[in-house]
Amino acid sequence: MDLIAILKRVELFEGLAPVQLEAVAKICQERKYASDELVTAQGDPADELFIVCEGFVEIVLDSSSEASTPRTVVSLGPGQIVGEMGLVDYGPRSANVRATTDPTVVQVIQRIDFEALCDHDNQLGYIVMRNMAADLSFKLRRTNYAER
Amino acid sequence: MAAIYKVSYVVIGEEHPGAILNVDHMPEVGERVELGRRQFTVVEVFELVPPRGEFHFLHATLAPAED
Repeated sequence: MDLIAILKRVELFEGLAPVQLEAVAKICQERKYASDELVTAQGDPADELFIVCEGFVEIVLDSSSEASTPRTVVSLGPGQIVGEMGLVDYGPRSANVRATTDPTVVQVIQRIDFEALCDHDNQLGYIVMRNMAADLSFKLRRTNYAER
Repeated sequence: MAAIYKVSYVVIGEEHPGAILNVDHMPEVGERVELGRRQFTVVEVFELVPPRGEFHFLHATLAPAED
């Protein structure tokens, strides 16, 4: 599947015109991970957004005490984005992200490229930011239902 | 473009983190789902928020599959 076809299946880019999808594709970089390989670590600077294209990653929280073990809070599969919090709030990574399949293929967007694209095309920026807010809302709703 | 179902899977009855992923069909109650080499059965499905474009947003509750 070509990259444009992959991006069309990512909610973050829902509503973008073909020419806008092509602009997004130009700032994507593919990375492959082996199972159990760390994609990004809790506490690291967060200047990249990850889009899971193939396989799964798990979001793992380090324990606050040495006595207890890290806790996996969710697995994210194809079409899901990871690292969006740090992209918008400039905070450090709030969790570890680890590949759980071999291979796990992600597309990576650097913050500097993402912000430049949003500045260049404000409509694209509005749509992507709205979709990113919707994705965060989806994850919050999920957490609320999971804790019923 | 065909519909895309973004599904939040939550597991009940055991400690399991669940998953979020896009699938190409709407999960149905009774359907088997594999997460991390484990088999689960869908026991509940509902729409989390209204669809937007081709995307549908669902929440599915899973229970460990009984073989």
